[in-house]
Amino acid sequence: MSPADADGEPGGEQGVADAVAATDAVAATGSTTAADGGTTGATAGAGTGPRRSVTRRSSNSFLGDAWVNVKRWNLKAVRNPFVLVVSLVQPIIFLVLFTQVFGQVATGAINQGAGDISYETYLVPAIVIQVSLAAAITSGIGLVNDIEEGMFEKVLVTPMSRAAVFTGKTAAEVARIAVQIAIILGLGVLLGAEITTGIAGALGIIAVGVLFSLWFVSLSNSLAVLTRDQESTIIAMNLLQFPLLFLSSAFLPLDSLPEWIQTFARYNPVTYGVDAARALMLDADVMTVLGVAAFSEVWNTLVPALAVLGALDLGLGAIAVYLLGRASSASAR
Amino acid sequence: MSAIDADDVTLTYADGTEAVRGVSLDIPEGEFFGFLGPNGAGKTTAIKTFTTLLCPTSGSVTVNGFDVVEESRAVRESIGYMAQETSIDPELTARENIRFACEAYGVPRGERAERIDELLDLVELAAAADKESGEFSGGMKKRLDAAMALVHRPPLVFLDEPTTGLDPKARNRLWEYFRRINEAGTTIFLTTQYLEEADQLCERIAVISDGEIVATGSPGELKRRVGGEILDIDLDGGAAARERAAEIAADSDLFGDGAGVETTAAGITVTSRRAREAGTDLLVALRDDGLTVTGFNIRAPTLDDVFLAITGDGADGGATDTDRDADGASGADGAGTAPAAADGGTGR
Repeated sequence: MSPADADGEPGGEQGVADAVAATDAVAATGSTTAADGGTTGATAGAGTGPRRSVTRRSSNSFLGDAWVNVKRWNLKAVRNPFVLVVSLVQPIIFLVLFTQVFGQVATGAINQGAGDISYETYLVPAIVIQVSLAAAITSGIGLVNDIEEGMFEKVLVTPMSRAAVFTGKTAAEVARIAVQIAIILGLGVLLGAEITTGIAGALGIIAVGVLFSLWFVSLSNSLAVLTRDQESTIIAMNLLQFPLLFLSSAFLPLDSLPEWIQTFARYNPVTYGVDAARALMLDADVMTVLGVAAFSEVWNTLVPALAVLGALDLGLGAIAVYLLGRASSASAR
Repeated sequence: MSAIDADDVTLTYADGTEAVRGVSLDIPEGEFFGFLGPNGAGKTTAIKTFTTLLCPTSGSVTVNGFDVVEESRAVRESIGYMAQETSIDPELTARENIRFACEAYGVPRGERAERIDELLDLVELAAAADKESGEFSGGMKKRLDAAMALVHRPPLVFLDEPTTGLDPKARNRLWEYFRRINEAGTTIFLTTQYLEEADQLCERIAVISDGEIVATGSPGELKRRVGGEILDIDLDGGAAARERAAEIAADSDLFGDGAGVETTAAGITVTSRRAREAGTDLLVALRDDGLTVTGFNIRAPTLDDVFLAITGDGADGGATDTDRDADGASGADGAGTAPAAADGGTGR
């Protein structure tokens, strides 16, 4: 993403620099040749050739750099479990309240034709998507914090690949989202929801949730870079969360909702995420906004939904990468 | 080979601000170099250009022999950078912060544990190594930040106003670390607003004002351009008394040639290499003339004085001592001005 990442390594220099050895001495003893000041290091460095060699890096691969960042963000998440818990609380409240309050009424609406799907089963895929949304919001907040704490710049001045830095951060967040979705699925099953497709389906739902989260992660990071302000990012992302959830197929079948909501839902990514997760939950073609019949049953929902989400991820991901790249090279001409 | 070789570097921000306007520098390996200037002079912009965080609008920079634009990754591998704002991850412990830096700079796995302990010792954070760094004092955070810039033993370290906001004790400790790594052969490029800091640490200083280097030299050379130390005398008796005192100071031959005498709001100011020796004589002369001295102070030249001497204009477009004291009260600046007076008193 940055021309700098592609450029040459200091190449060829295998030995650990002599100049480095000079620094060794001081760290150990605290006093070397005070009298002749800098000459020790300068002479040593000059002996190694036209270009000063630097400490050899043991891991400068893309994956190595990404892993370093995965570890940091995981450590931060573990250090601050509050965030993980809080972003789960609201979806759990929704899950419990909605099934208890609307369960009776909604069950009728979702089984209009025939069928005996419980509202718990119907709702869990929606809550999965809600968890993805909530968790994705924290991604941008993490970035704003990093900018405010100076870690963003500190990382930019290391030789790590910048693409790997952001890949690592996102990977850590995606892992966290997967864990949170698993928790919700477990809770849903305890409350009486049924995953028709079993363990494989549950893993599929987690995958859908992760795929769904990426566009919102991208949006949240884009907002973070643009506003560079924690409150603005949180407010903007929370403002988006509820209209997106309610104006979709998340809580009730679309044909029981007003026309304008049906229209909005057609363009709402949440509809595609929820439909894909629900198709796996019920092992059925539940897609209402697109009439695809080219595949068999579940796949008539999954293929178009995942295609839409994938395209959205790529589009918003590209915007986020562009904005991060621009922020990384600052605002100079 | 030069540690930093900058040739006519300019940097213009997207909004048209010309933050750096034609800076050329040649800093040999091992030098402790200072970039001295007031807020907004372009120090941080220049340092960000040298550390690959900004691309020069025109001109070229090589750092450790690598071009900052074409070989930016090699530059980043070969430098340490301590930003003006303390940059640590407050959710990680000191040890974890340094470990992250080790990994980011690719310190070989087998050397990491030893390196981390060594650096914790160097910056005296071994006792707090496993505490979350968010709970550290400002000075501890700065020391941790400094340690993170040194993990890969870079031959060149950039320090952007490293002691701003620290109390004198914390600042002196940091100075000690910087001296030690410089004595080991590390080239240091330091920016500061305080002549005192540059004077304490740097072999050579460039004074930057409004994006341009207006003077380069050793701290001694720069201070000689001011013309010595500064004697401030406060007087009773209004403008007439001040005029009279200025005449006495100028005529008395007490200070010899090259002394500068000016009236101020409170009295007079004499700038002279003999301010210390001849100060008492001037006070006596003033008393003999029937003038009442209500206060006096001998001090080393400050950045303001250097600026005044070099540009004919005070730092920040004519900041007075009062302005600077006001800054000091807000916390950030106190560390820089207080020791200047203390050192003056020891007859350095």
